Amino acid sequence: MKRRGWLLLGGWCVLLLAGVAWIESGLKVSADLRLFMPAPRTEEQRLLVQNIGESPASRLLLVALGNDEPATLAALSRSLSARLRQHPEFGLVANGDQAPLAIPEVLLPYRYLITDSFDAAPLDRVRLAAELEERAADMASPAASLLEEWLPRDPTLEMLHLANLWQPRAEPHQFDGVWFSADGRRALLLVETHAAAFDPDGQTLALDALRAEFQQLRGSSPATLTVSGSGYFSSVIKNRTQSEATWFGTAATLGMIALMWAAYRRFGFTLLGALPLLSAALAGLAVVAALFDSVHGITLAFGFTLIGVAQDYPIHLFSHLRPGQDPVITARRVWPPLATGVASTCIAYLAFLVSGVTGLAQLACLTVTGLAVAGLTTRFLLPRIVPPSERDPADSAPLARLDARIGRLPRPYFLLILVPLAAVAVLLLRPVGFWQNDLSKLTPVPTELLREDAALRREMATPDLRYLLVASGASEDAVLTRLEALDPSLSTAAAAGTIADYDHAARYLPSADLQRRRQAALPEATELRSALQETLAALPFENELFEPFVQDVAKARDLPPLTRAALSDTPLALRVASELFQREGHWYGLVSLFGVHDPAAMAALAAAHPGITFLDLKSASEQLVAAQRSYIILCLGVAALLLVVVIWIALRRWSRVLRVLAPMVLTTLVIIALLRACGVSLSLFHLVSLVLAAGLGLDYALFFEHAADDAAEQRRTLHALLVCSLSTLMVFALLALSTVPILQAIGITVSLGVISNFLLALLLTRERA
Amino acid sequence: MTTGFVEYRFSHLLKKPLRVSGQLEYRADGVMVRKVESPYQETTEATADQVRMTRAGKTTRTVSLQRAPQLRVLLGSFRALLEGRLQPLATDFELELREEAALWTLSLTPRDDKLRKYLARIEVFGRGGQPGCLEAVEPDGDGTLTLLGAPAPPATPPPSRAELERACRAGLPGPAT
Repeated sequence: MKRRGWLLLGGWCVLLLAGVAWIESGLKVSADLRLFMPAPRTEEQRLLVQNIGESPASRLLLVALGNDEPATLAALSRSLSARLRQHPEFGLVANGDQAPLAIPEVLLPYRYLITDSFDAAPLDRVRLAAELEERAADMASPAASLLEEWLPRDPTLEMLHLANLWQPRAEPHQFDGVWFSADGRRALLLVETHAAAFDPDGQTLALDALRAEFQQLRGSSPATLTVSGSGYFSSVIKNRTQSEATWFGTAATLGMIALMWAAYRRFGFTLLGALPLLSAALAGLAVVAALFDSVHGITLAFGFTLIGVAQDYPIHLFSHLRPGQDPVITARRVWPPLATGVASTCIAYLAFLVSGVTGLAQLACLTVTGLAVAGLTTRFLLPRIVPPSERDPADSAPLARLDARIGRLPRPYFLLILVPLAAVAVLLLRPVGFWQNDLSKLTPVPTELLREDAALRREMATPDLRYLLVASGASEDAVLTRLEALDPSLSTAAAAGTIADYDHAARYLPSADLQRRRQAALPEATELRSALQETLAALPFENELFEPFVQDVAKARDLPPLTRAALSDTPLALRVASELFQREGHWYGLVSLFGVHDPAAMAALAAAHPGITFLDLKSASEQLVAAQRSYIILCLGVAALLLVVVIWIALRRWSRVLRVLAPMVLTTLVIIALLRACGVSLSLFHLVSLVLAAGLGLDYALFFEHAADDAAEQRRTLHALLVCSLSTLMVFALLALSTVPILQAIGITVSLGVISNFLLALLLTRERA
Repeated sequence: MTTGFVEYRFSHLLKKPLRVSGQLEYRADGVMVRKVESPYQETTEATADQVRMTRAGKTTRTVSLQRAPQLRVLLGSFRALLEGRLQPLATDFELELREEAALWTLSLTPRDDKLRKYLARIEVFGRGGQPGCLEAVEPDGDGTLTLLGAPAPPATPPPSRAELERACRAGLPGPAT
C-alpha cells in the first residue's frame, strides 16, 4: 500500500474513533417495547400504550421462598421484606406480616369522611344508642381487651370497618404471621418494582437486588428463592436473546474470516473487508444517537443484522480486482450495479421511516445511513488502500468448470408462471392466520416458567394482567367522582361473580364532594354530647368516656377534604399513588380487576359510565399492531414503485428491468408460500426480513445483469456472488438455529431468500456467455 | 363436653362490672362454642382459623384469626387447656403451677410482647382434676373472671372482684352461692 493509502486509512480510523466517542456520549439504549408500538391516535390507544407494562399488576414480582423449615422461611420472609422496603427499586412489598391497611394516626378524624357507615342513616341518637348497646355486649365478649384501647375514641368501630373494607377479599394462607402456600412449604411475597415490566434492564437491576438480599439473609440455610411475574419474564427473555445473539455473532465473525480467507487468500482483504461494515455501523449509530432520545435494544440488534448486508459490497470490489488494473478503475466499474442496489435497498427501508412506529423509524435511520456509508466507503476509500491484486478470479480453473456447467443448465422461465400460481394456491389452502398480531408470541416465555407463574398467582390472588378499567378526567377529583359513580356497579359485579374482586383509589380516598356531604351530615358537638348523655344513662359505660369521640367528630366537621397529596408518607400513599396519577396534564384512575370471569360484561359496564374505559390490553394491542401493519404495507407498496423507478433510471430498458426484478419478486412469493405452507404466521419481523431478502436478490440480479455477456466479467461476478451468498447464508442459517423466535424468524426467512434469490438470479437474470 | 359458666368483666371504662352467664361447649369437631344466655343471647363459635359471633336480632360478625394473631394465641391456649395439653401452652406462655393439697393454681404469662400489651397473665384455679375458675388479668388491672361449672351466683348484690378471687383461690363453690 502506498503512503497516501496508509494516511487515508489512518485518517479514516481516527474518524471512526471520533464516531465511537460521539455515540458513547449521546446514545441511550432503552428497552421500552412501546417504541415498537404505533403512536397512539385515540384516547383509548393512549391509555393502552400507557398501561402496557406499566399497570400496577404488571409491575408485581411474585416471590416464593422454599426448601427449609417453615419457621426459618417465615423469619426469612420477614427480614427479606423489611430489607426490600428500604430499597429504591421497590414500591409495595407485601408478605402478610403488616398490620392491615389503616388510616395513619394524624389523619384519624378523617375516618368520618372516608367511611360509608353513615351514608344510609346518619349518626343520630337512635343510631348511637344501637351502637353503644352493641359495644356494651362486646365488653363481655372474648374480644373485649382488644377493643377497649380504642373504644373511647371510636365507639362505632369505624377503624375496624375500614380495615375490613380495605382487606383484599382473598388472601394467601398464613403461617407464623406471614403468607404461605396452601401446602405450607413455601413462604410467599409480592414485590412491586418501580421499573416497568417491559424494562428488562430495570427489572434485572431489581432482580439482582432481590437475589443479593436473599443470599445475604439466607446465611447457611438451604432455602431457595423462586421469582415470577411479567418483569421477571422480560429479564429472562432479554438475557437469553442477548446470550444467543452474542454466540451467533462470534460464530458468524469467525466463519466470515474463514470464508474471506478461502476466497481471496490475502489477510489484508479480510481486514479491509470489514471496514465498510464497521463504518456503516458507527455512522448509523451516530445518526440515530443524534436524531432520537433513546434507541431500543431490538433496533440495535436487528439494525446490525440488516447492515450486515454491507459485507457484500467489498466482496463485489475484491472479486472484480485483477492484476494490472488500478483498483480505483475497478471500483468505478462495479459502482453502477452497487449504487443501484444500495439506493433501492435504502428506498425500501425508507418506507419504515414513515411507518409511524418509533422503533422502526430508528431501524430505518440506522440501516439507510449504514448502507449508504458502506457503499461510499467501498467506492471511494477501499480502492485507494487495498493492496494490488495478484490474481484474477476469472482465471480460476474450478470456477471456469462451474461456470460452464451452469451455462448448460436449462433456463426455468416456466417458474415465472408456476411460482405465482403455487403461492396463490398455498394462500387459498391456508386462508387463516396469515399475520401474527400477538407481539408476545415472538418472545414466548418457557412453559415451565408459565406453569410456575400460574401456580403462584393462584396462591396469591394478584390483579388481572389483561383486563383493566381506567377512569380519566381533568382533575384528581373528577377521576375520584367517576370512580365513585362506578363503584356500585363493580360491587354488584363482584357479588354476582363476574369478577372476583376489584380495587381503586376512591375506596381509600373519596371525592371532595362526597367528603363534604358526609361532613354536613355529622352531628354538632353539643348535639352529640346530649345524645350520649341520654343514651349512657341506661348503659354500663362511664359517663364522660366518649369525649375523645366527640372531639374527633367535631374535628372531622371542620377539616378540609382529604387529598392524594395529604396522604404522602403514609401506608395509604403507596396504594393510592399507583392507582391514581397524572400524565401529560390528564388524571387517570386505574381499577384493578381480580379474576375476570366475564370480560364482555365488564366492557358493557364501562360503556354505561362516562369517562370509564375498559382496556383489554391483549386484543387492543393486537388490533393496534394489525392496523399499523396495513399502513406499513402501504408504505412498502409505494417504496416498491419508487424502487422500480430507480432501477428503470439505472437500466433504461424494460426488458433489463424485468430480468433484474424477476428473482426478487419470485423469491418473495416463494418465501411467503413456504412459510405459510409450514403454518407460520407472519410478523413485523418477517416483513422486515422479506425486505432484507429482496434487497439481496436485487443486488445479485443487478450484478449478474451488469456482467452482460462478457465471459471473464461473468466469472468474476459469479465468484463475488458465490462469496456474498455463502457468507450471508452462513450468518442467517446460524440465526435460524436460534431458540429465540425473533432471531429464528429472521434467520429462516433470510436463508430461504438467499438460496432462492441466488439460484433464480443465476438462472433467470444471467445471460449465456 | 359442656359446662355452665358465669363471667364477670371488670373494666375502668365501666361504671359497674358486667356479668354474663351461659354454656361453654367443646365440640368433638374441635369447635369451641361460648353461648351467652343471660342477660342477652349471643353465640360465639371459634374454629382453628376464625371466630364467628351471632347476637340475637343482630348481624353475624366473623373475624379471621389470620388477622388477629393475639386472639389466635388466646383461643389456642383455651383449646390446649381444654384438651389438657401443656406442650402447646408452654410455647406461648411461661407456666407456673402452685399446689396446696387438692387445690392448684396454674399461672400463664404470655411470651409474645404484642400479646402482653393486652394480657398480663391468666390464672386457672382448680380442685383435683377440675378447673373451677379462670381469671384473665390485663396490664391496666382490668380483667375477666370466669366461674366454670359452678352454680350461678345470684346477680344482686354483685360480689366484688376481691370476693370472687378469694372464692376461686379457696376452691369453689364460691361466695354467696
